[in-house]
Amino acid sequence: MNRYKLAMVLFILSEGTFFGLLILAYVYFRATTGSEPIAAHVLDPLKTGIFSVCLFASSGTMELGIKSLRKKNFAGLRFWLVATILLGATFLVGQGMEYLHLYRSDITISRNIFGTSFFTLTGFHGLHVFLGLVVLLIMLGLGMSKDFLAKHETAVEVASYYWHFVDVVWVVIFTVVYLWVFL
Amino acid sequence: MPINTPFIAASPQEQAISHLFIVVLCWMGVILLTVTGLVTYAIIRYRKKGEGEPRQIFGNTRLEWIWTLLPLALVCYFFVATLHTMAVSDPPTRGHSPDMLIIGHQWWWEVHYLKSGVVTANDVHFPVGVPTLVEFKSADVIHDWWVPELGPKIDLIPGHPNKLWIDVDKPGTYLGTCAQFCGAEHAWMRIRAIAQEPAQFDAWLKEQETIPPQPTSGPALAGLKLFKSLPCISCHTIEGLGPTPDAGPNLTHIATRETLGAGRLMNTPKNLAAWLKDPQKFKPGTQMPNLRLTNQQVNDLVAYLETLR
Amino acid sequence: MSDIPVTSLPHAIPHPRERMMSWVASVDHKQIGILYMTTAFFFFLCGGVEALLMRAQLAFPEEHFLSPGAYDQIFTMHGTTMVFLFGMPVLIGLANYLVPLMIGARDVAFPRLNAFSYWLLFFGGLMLYFSFFAGGAPNVGWFSYAPLSEKPFSTSPGIDYWALSLLVLGIGSVAAGINLIVTILTLRVKGMTIRRLPLFVWMTLVTSILIVMALPALNVDLVMLLIDRKLGGNFFAMAATGGSAILWQHFFWAFGHPEVYILALPAFGIISEVIPVFSRKAIFGYGYIAASTVAIGILSFAVWAHHMFAVGLGRPWDVAFAAGSMLIAIPTGVKIFNWIATMWGGSIRFTTSMLYAIGFLIFFTIGGLSGVTLAVFPIDWQVHDTYYIVAHLHYVLFGGTAFAVFAGLYYWFPKFTGRMLSERLGKWNFWLTVIGFNTTFMVQHALGILGMPRRAWTYPNLPYWGILNLISSIGAFILGIAILVLIVNIWVSLKHGERASDNPWGAWSLEWATSSPPPPENFEKVPPVRSRRPLWDLVHPDDPDWLHGNA
Repeated sequence: MNRYKLAMVLFILSEGTFFGLLILAYVYFRATTGSEPIAAHVLDPLKTGIFSVCLFASSGTMELGIKSLRKKNFAGLRFWLVATILLGATFLVGQGMEYLHLYRSDITISRNIFGTSFFTLTGFHGLHVFLGLVVLLIMLGLGMSKDFLAKHETAVEVASYYWHFVDVVWVVIFTVVYLWVFL
Repeated sequence: MPINTPFIAASPQEQAISHLFIVVLCWMGVILLTVTGLVTYAIIRYRKKGEGEPRQIFGNTRLEWIWTLLPLALVCYFFVATLHTMAVSDPPTRGHSPDMLIIGHQWWWEVHYLKSGVVTANDVHFPVGVPTLVEFKSADVIHDWWVPELGPKIDLIPGHPNKLWIDVDKPGTYLGTCAQFCGAEHAWMRIRAIAQEPAQFDAWLKEQETIPPQPTSGPALAGLKLFKSLPCISCHTIEGLGPTPDAGPNLTHIATRETLGAGRLMNTPKNLAAWLKDPQKFKPGTQMPNLRLTNQQVNDLVAYLETLR
Repeated sequence: MSDIPVTSLPHAIPHPRERMMSWVASVDHKQIGILYMTTAFFFFLCGGVEALLMRAQLAFPEEHFLSPGAYDQIFTMHGTTMVFLFGMPVLIGLANYLVPLMIGARDVAFPRLNAFSYWLLFFGGLMLYFSFFAGGAPNVGWFSYAPLSEKPFSTSPGIDYWALSLLVLGIGSVAAGINLIVTILTLRVKGMTIRRLPLFVWMTLVTSILIVMALPALNVDLVMLLIDRKLGGNFFAMAATGGSAILWQHFFWAFGHPEVYILALPAFGIISEVIPVFSRKAIFGYGYIAASTVAIGILSFAVWAHHMFAVGLGRPWDVAFAAGSMLIAIPTGVKIFNWIATMWGGSIRFTTSMLYAIGFLIFFTIGGLSGVTLAVFPIDWQVHDTYYIVAHLHYVLFGGTAFAVFAGLYYWFPKFTGRMLSERLGKWNFWLTVIGFNTTFMVQHALGILGMPRRAWTYPNLPYWGILNLISSIGAFILGIAILVLIVNIWVSLKHGERASDNPWGAWSLEWATSSPPPPENFEKVPPVRSRRPLWDLVHPDDPDWLHGNA
């Protein structure tokens, strides 16, 4: 068993519990209180959906990068890493725009329980995307050296685990927060 | 003073709990004696006698089964007994409307008798032999109602009302307390549950329903005027004096209560005077401030409050 | 796997000027383990002083030695300190030191992450204690129930310090947990299969999994509390804005109950090492002890609401959690019986370490049995949040965890330092601890049953309350003296203690196969591991364990 991969899997388990509980809190409040404003009236699932596609796609580009890495195609890896980073950054920009829009409509973290749980949940996810981007940028920087990639294939793979995790969490959050409004 | 314990039950609910408690404690005693006996035997019998190593034994599956299944059987028995006791000690409350409402405050109890509209504080009167459904709410943080002789304790949680049947079957005064840490004066948030025969209870209720006449002369009148002009009236309700805030205990019948400051002092004129002089001395942190009253003011206020029967 | 260069270890004997630096910059698991344990012991003394202050205040009814404000800060700090700054660090430190040695490894899997975890503990602890100078320590209890911990009711910055430092400590613990799991799963020496791991390592493995899975629940709670307090959020605020005070409790105890086992399982591990060695017999029912640990680990996530029986969650919740809480007693009982069976037919040496282990058997049983009475929730409806609970949890955490830690200290001290602790002072230490501990806490069962709530800064002079509290306070000061004896013993033995051989107790696990203290690289050569007791096999080539198929 590779110790770095194992450690990342454990870290993801721990983080997964963290997000699971945040999501649970959101669901609990969503189900028990209905004070305005609520998700259905202020969120734009379509717009956020488009930005979400960027994040989902970035998992694919990440995987293509790992495939290139396995074939020792380092230029390919760099290309796909850049693509992943750009897609992830686009998602963050989208989230920033959404926050700005909500803020302008006077929906803030202190407004009511929707605001509190929404910003906490999506904010923590955004923070994790941001950290993921930092990690990927470091990988890209180090990946400029062939030596590094030849020796530390695992490092890039472990980073990709984390990136997929961030992506999967968003699948759940997007479903619970944005798609639930249609029910 | 009588001792205060769940083992002296004063309600059928508590009767069931204390019975179960004793049964379970006996079984626990048996297990503890077994374990202690085995350990004692082992350390005496198998203490070091020579240099050689004893025979090595690595385990015994049959023994493992025994000490897994026997406790399991005991636990199953406890579980069934628990279900049974629970049904008796916490009968269903759904579909019944509450007779009383108790609201927890930092650090006192507000008590409403819903049918008569009587409001009192800290001394909680119950009729003997008449099951009373009590609803519990909190005005601020989480508190917990606990009178050992009367049955289960129950939390008072903001936004989460709870209900409990209280069915006292022996007249008497039962001491209780807030059991959930609720801030600085958690220690002095005590309960006096006073169980009276129905006739006496009705008489008490009648007395609480009538508004005491306002004094017309002497120090009591001066006290009434002071009560209205000093900040007293902005926290304490006295029926007949206008708007009814509920930041502090309702004082309409203060002179009929047994204690002051939620069980801090016995309610005597002397203690009342000392309390008015400096509540913080007796209950540091209580919401009632030291108003720096003169002795004259204190005496007038006490004269007035003593008329509130 | 070994594509990262091996981290260089500090020199064995540095210049005096460098000695301090060698500790601060250390990435050696043994040094970090020692740092963990000394830091934990320092905080144990802090928590102990706080306990004595509380008992001084409670010695007499209506005492004014401490104000309610001061008392609330002190009992909160006592609980928080003992759980997060003594219990967890001392056990993680012990695991840090021992696990690599026991599995024949050179170090933990991630030495630098290990140092990071320790320094998070160090600074997290400092941050918590700094609150005393920054406007007041936290004062709402170690489980900080909302809404009391919310801004409208507690403006004290102490609660922010509390939440932030617990987040810091939590991150450190998760990192340590991951590190230990990876170490155990990937760095075992050849022959050290999972089924041959010393039981201490088994317990550490399960504990670490609990840490990784349970701490996030606390972190979520803390984050939500901080958002409420600092950004005006509404999670646990008054119901008017849609918050829920009960959610705090669910998340807190979803962490808090596994936490109890995080503090108990490594203690079981210590006992499972000490009892066989001083009974001169192999552990009885190895597989059952390991399996029951896994059962406890799983069940520990399904019992949290037994801390909430007075909340009014509804019948189905109460019934389910009562069942879970009763069931968890069974795997715990299995362990007790296996330990007694290990002693049965042995040749018992009454060293101080063994005495503490025997004390553990009795006192932990008392704590476990009073725990069963709490799982029977009509009883919990009476004794919940009273001194009965205080007594129960101290029988589990002091009579259990602390007794085991002391057993472990007397057992492994020679390995850590190369010197034996004095047995004479040890016996004094042990008996004073037994007397002090039981005097303090046994009467508290009675206090709870007589109606005394926990966390009250003072109490009215009701029948028996005064005398029982006085007895309890006297016991606490005897316990204080016992700890002083321990400090003297450590101090004297470090300087003048008898030199320890590599294997002074004739033990059988790998940490005894190297010198005392071990060299930086741990082993020159790890003996072959063909059974659970490699050193037994070395000494008894005529009757090695592997002839018995390990079982």
